[in-house]
Amino acid sequence: MSLLLLLAAPLAGAAVLTRAVGGVARAVNALTAAVTLAAAAAVVAAVARQGSVTALDGLLRADALSAWMAGLVGLIAALAALEAPRQVPPDEGRRFYPLLHLFTFTMLLAVTTDDVGLMWVAVEGTTLASVFLVNFERSRSSLEASYKYLLICSVGVAIAFAGTVLVYFADVQQFGDQAYALRWTTLLRLAPGLPAPVIQLAFVFLLVGYGTKAGLAPMHTWLPDAHSEAPAPVSALMSGVLLSVGLYAVLRFKAVVDLAAGPDFAGRLLVALGLASLGVAAAFLWAPRNYKRMLAYSSVEHVGVVCLGLGFGGPLGVAGAVLHIGNHALAKSVLFLLSGRIRAAYGTAEIPAVSGLLRAMPVTGRGFLVAMLALMGLPPFGLFVSEVMIFAAGFQAGYAPAAALGLALLVVAFSGLLRAAHRMLYGPVTGQVSENPHWASALPLGVALLMLVVTGLAWPPGLAGALGQIVSLLAP
Amino acid sequence: MTALTNLLAFLGLVVTLLIVWRQGWPGRLALFVAQSLLLALLAVVIGILAGKPGLLVVAAVVVLLKAWLIPRALARMGAGTPVLRPLAPGRSSAVPLLVSGGLVVVAYAVMLPVNAATTLPTEGGIPLAFAMALIGLFVCVTGRDALGHLLGFLMFENGIFGLALLATYGLPGLVEAGVFLDVLAIVLLMEGVVLRVRREHDSIDVDRLRELRG
Repeated sequence: MSLLLLLAAPLAGAAVLTRAVGGVARAVNALTAAVTLAAAAAVVAAVARQGSVTALDGLLRADALSAWMAGLVGLIAALAALEAPRQVPPDEGRRFYPLLHLFTFTMLLAVTTDDVGLMWVAVEGTTLASVFLVNFERSRSSLEASYKYLLICSVGVAIAFAGTVLVYFADVQQFGDQAYALRWTTLLRLAPGLPAPVIQLAFVFLLVGYGTKAGLAPMHTWLPDAHSEAPAPVSALMSGVLLSVGLYAVLRFKAVVDLAAGPDFAGRLLVALGLASLGVAAAFLWAPRNYKRMLAYSSVEHVGVVCLGLGFGGPLGVAGAVLHIGNHALAKSVLFLLSGRIRAAYGTAEIPAVSGLLRAMPVTGRGFLVAMLALMGLPPFGLFVSEVMIFAAGFQAGYAPAAALGLALLVVAFSGLLRAAHRMLYGPVTGQVSENPHWASALPLGVALLMLVVTGLAWPPGLAGALGQIVSLLAP
Repeated sequence: MTALTNLLAFLGLVVTLLIVWRQGWPGRLALFVAQSLLLALLAVVIGILAGKPGLLVVAAVVVLLKAWLIPRALARMGAGTPVLRPLAPGRSSAVPLLVSGGLVVVAYAVMLPVNAATTLPTEGGIPLAFAMALIGLFVCVTGRDALGHLLGFLMFENGIFGLALLATYGLPGLVEAGVFLDVLAIVLLMEGVVLRVRREHDSIDVDRLRELRG
């Protein structure tokens, strides 16, 4: 029931919002986000109680991993929807709100369906729903970004489709034509008997395909453009959860290939791609010029870190990777939302043009400072804990050189981020920038930052249990 | 059955190579329609011989979508582009054709595990279909304008569709429907983007989109 509501709420909201204008649109937008978040919370609670929930004859199914992802999508979507009225001109709402909730719907569908094929359709749907959001400002550069985004992600996801066909082929060859051949539950059950070479080949396609969507280097080229050109709420959703939806698909298929061909194959590929992503990100983050692009490249960095965790494997690596997905979603979406406010105030996204942020915009500036510290992986924030888990797993699993290289690249990225943040936060105030220090406007973002402190300092009782459940699903 | 499906897959590859060879736009579009029709025919043949009536519906959708609706959208996008591009030095078809030939070999090598895992009567066509997909990808990444990119993407998609037909006799209906809707949506969205590019830049040459760097 909660599962159906989770998908129906954003869809219905999007339908109503195509007709609504002005204050009504803003109200429906907030209501839709609230109902979606409540439904996501209900799914999380139900999964915590029963282990999994299903709907529509098993077509929809949420286990601990799906619940984790759905909870994150619901949360970040709510943050984005609350921030949207600040960023969207009132008369442009109909071009924005429906697509925003449709985008949320496609992401929720991707993580809650048990059908591999439907998940593919939903992941492709995320691109289609968000391409015009990227081009919302209708500038030349945003047009270019949306073109690149549509083309590269469509090709990437089509490559993933080839992988899906090969998985289906292996399944049907081995076990005959059966009604539920493309369900996760079926695949996991049959995986040990699937022909290893075919599944390995399929995984390469799937990793390249869904890795494109996840922003893994060298398939990341669409990401900095799309993230920096999209309006802030859309960037927050893209960076915070869309990338993780791509990773989610990789995660699920990794469990299948591990059972069919042993854990080393997928693990090594993921470590290699993770290091490549960290390298690309570190090279850019050494001296960033544009703060939205800086945040985008930092997403490439963190996707790389998650991949390292998955590649290192073991309960510690997988739990660290999944926790890192959540931590990064919180920190990065707060930063993108704040960057939207900064851009509105300063009129530019160039780092040299922004200075004195702490004095000019006390609320936004402080939030930006705290979120940047969290993103850099400093204690007491959650990213510190998940990064420690991931790299500890690397040293334990005999990947010491890879883990050491990864840490070195993280330090490079860290120093670049620190310098950029310092430049923006301190110094003389440029121009006539000011902010009405209205703390209520920062409340939702403050709550998100507080949650990061919670995952960093004191895990709530359910968190370890949830991570344990996810690990038992992915690394049995 | 083996002879017929092999022949159709082979003809599909020939048409794919012809698309690489042709440089003018309406000619490439006509060849793409031919490729799609061949795939529809392949679906009919496999549907009849393997006793899968659902594939006849799929074939009808392919004809409707890829031989009519999508080519029409492509023609709208291409209206105004020169029929025959003046051939610049170094832009002859020889090198792309050579690469495509290499890709056929690559396709056979990559599909070795798949062919080893099956004794289907249609297995001979599997590497050919995959070669179509690879060549499509090649056309896509080397495309000089939006039409080239999109055409390459659609050829890639056709190749994967052929692979699905030959290796698994089609996919579950829900997935198949999703894929078709998806391709149509991509083409229509791309048309929207391309028309906007043309309005702003007087050209669909995406080489002119060069603002975002770093």
